Amino acid sequence: MKARIHSTKPLQYRIALTYCTLFCMSLLLPITGCASHRSAIVIGSKNFTEQLILGELFAQIIETHTHLPVERRFYLAGTFICHQAILAGRIDIYPEYTGTSLTTVLKQPPGGNKQEVYERVRDSYEKEFNLALGPPLGFNDTFAIEIRGDDARRLHLLTLSQAAAYTPQWRAGFGYEFMERPDGYKGLATSYGLRFAEPPRIMDLGLLSRALVQRQVDLIAGDNTDGLISALDLFVLEDNHHYFPPYEAVAVMRQEMLTTHPEVKQAMDVLAGKISDDDMRRMNYAVDGQHCDPVTVVHEFLAAHSLL
Amino acid sequence: MSATPTSPAATNGAVIEFDRVFFSLNGRPLLEELTLSVREGETLVLLGRSGSGKTTTLKLINGLLMPVEGEVRVSGRSTKTWDAIRLRRSIGYVIQDGGLFPHFTVERNIALVPRIEGWGHQRIGARVRELLVLVGLDVELASRYPSELSGGQRQRVGVARALAADPPILILDEAFSALDPITRSEMQKEFRALQQRMRKAVVFVTHDLREALLLADRIALMEEGREVVNLPVTEFRVSQHPLVRAYREAFAGPEEAR
Amino acid sequence: MDFLHFISTNRQQVIELTMEHITLAGVSTLIASLVGIPLGIVITRIPSLSKAIIGSANVIQTIPSLALFGFLIPAPWIGERAERLAILALALYGLLPLIRNTYAGIKGVDPEVVEAGRAMGLTDRQLLFQVELPLASGVIVAGVRIAAVLSIGLATIAAAIGAGGLGEFIFRGLAMVNNQVILAGAIPAAVLALAADFLLGLLERRLTSLRSRS
Repeated sequence: MKARIHSTKPLQYRIALTYCTLFCMSLLLPITGCASHRSAIVIGSKNFTEQLILGELFAQIIETHTHLPVERRFYLAGTFICHQAILAGRIDIYPEYTGTSLTTVLKQPPGGNKQEVYERVRDSYEKEFNLALGPPLGFNDTFAIEIRGDDARRLHLLTLSQAAAYTPQWRAGFGYEFMERPDGYKGLATSYGLRFAEPPRIMDLGLLSRALVQRQVDLIAGDNTDGLISALDLFVLEDNHHYFPPYEAVAVMRQEMLTTHPEVKQAMDVLAGKISDDDMRRMNYAVDGQHCDPVTVVHEFLAAHSLL
Repeated sequence: MSATPTSPAATNGAVIEFDRVFFSLNGRPLLEELTLSVREGETLVLLGRSGSGKTTTLKLINGLLMPVEGEVRVSGRSTKTWDAIRLRRSIGYVIQDGGLFPHFTVERNIALVPRIEGWGHQRIGARVRELLVLVGLDVELASRYPSELSGGQRQRVGVARALAADPPILILDEAFSALDPITRSEMQKEFRALQQRMRKAVVFVTHDLREALLLADRIALMEEGREVVNLPVTEFRVSQHPLVRAYREAFAGPEEAR
Repeated sequence: MDFLHFISTNRQQVIELTMEHITLAGVSTLIASLVGIPLGIVITRIPSLSKAIIGSANVIQTIPSLALFGFLIPAPWIGERAERLAILALALYGLLPLIRNTYAGIKGVDPEVVEAGRAMGLTDRQLLFQVELPLASGVIVAGVRIAAVLSIGLATIAAAIGAGGLGEFIFRGLAMVNNQVILAGAIPAAVLALAADFLLGLLERRLTSLRSRS
């Protein structure tokens, strides 16, 4: 009765080995390219109203003109996150502004007219990131330095240079990003010689307009296309020094996606120059002031302009 | 090709020699002026109380410790000049409760030194079988784990493991002290039989007089790090040295008390 | 529950973000193991280094995760892609449990067994690989388990810097003030953590029972 001396690896070793192999295999799963299975076009957007509207715009244009499935990934928390997401291929398209791309993504100094900035951004994006820029949508969402309408009328103010004289008597309110951006407060104050009695109050973007109306502050930096400007009787001072770079709205798109689906480019080109500053303000107001659903607002816009 | 040392034994035939060895740890002297020798085929039993320096002496043989003064020689060469690994692989070491690796089967435990010495697969298998038979174990136990064995079985495996590469020297530290009296007695008898067949140089540590008398060719009685008495077993049995008598009385039974 | 409805209508996204999350946590735990286990072994051999090594790992642990992500953004190559950055940061957080457990595991091996091995002529390397590591493996896997669960939780924060993963649902849901979306991120992340804890716990128990028979 000869026993087996050369015992094979006992059961427990084999079980442990199985677990380890399974664990390692599960790590490789994601690497086998889940992104490539995706047939839908993923559209991202940042987390404020105008971006949601633009994102919805892109989605509906692509859906109706190409019949490709579209996924919406809105409310991404900012420029950096959108940029990372499109680099990683997690989203295929998102709305951006040329001035923001220039200063925040490419980290170049602000300056130049609309055409120059657009071309510089387009070329750099193509070379460095393999991203394509769509044509300008037609509006300039620049920073709007706003004061109350009655102040503007009373003091006969039209431009920032004129308003600079009154700044020692005023309090300013700005969002956090405006304070920190290279194209933000510091440069503006230098360019126009703004001298406020106290340091500017920093608050959430959504609260700025209200603070201005309620006379807690006298001058704020909002968005040019903010829907509530006329509703609240706010006045936008002209940037006569052209301090702010242009912020033309464009679509940033993954070149790989366009190569696979050239029909997307054709669909997006339909939007070139179709949205004026006023158009954007009206759509923003419909959502912010009248609380309409962005999907409906966008659909009505496209129908009204025969873009569907 | 076994793991025997390459140098010949010293001129007087001693395989292990202690030459006025002094050892201390953290300032405390553990061994003083220790001089003894063990010949090929001889079994020396180190007898003494706990703390008398017996285990320290064993560790000086296989190079786990080095003498502070004096010299320990194995096969004529000082342990300081031996390659530690080669020295230890040519000495079989058995401790209380076997010191078996709990995550190795009996077979892998026994085959430990042959495997790291690069023996062939077949040869190892045959040797393990041979040793299991030699120490009186059922060959089927090879694939069991130490936790599945009784104390006595574990001890036998420990002895088999020590003998695996056929070393010329065996050192055992209280190897049978944790066993029940019946098993212990069996192990002693079997070990005695094994010794007479194999003729290795054996140093056996115990605090049990009866065990010493049964297994020894010579007995060295140690007390507080010194060797007090070193006699052939027959002389030790009738020695009138006070410490020897004290020992005999401690183990007094009608036959031993005198 | 409403979030289940959200998950079923957005299945593709949920799967994609879950896969991203597993990659972030899995790769970083792997890196932490590949670095931490050898470091743990080193400090059992060279005790004078233990203060420096464990001290550094401790310091890293005290840095708030979002801050660590932020610090690494300007770093060349690492900072260019959020996933790389997140994986590095998560790996750094996983180091301490792995170093500590490896050290404790090896030190916890029965010293008599180790001495028996040394007395029989095992070299230091043979002792390490044939005796100490196998007997310490249960405790070491416990360290991997801790690091993995930690990684899965911290990976949700990685979405704040654009690294993706289930945290994206959480942050988007916060911006949308939409609980469904938040839960669609939080609950799968919790399930992942529980699953990792359970599976690795099984492995740990198997290895421990195997070793502790003596």
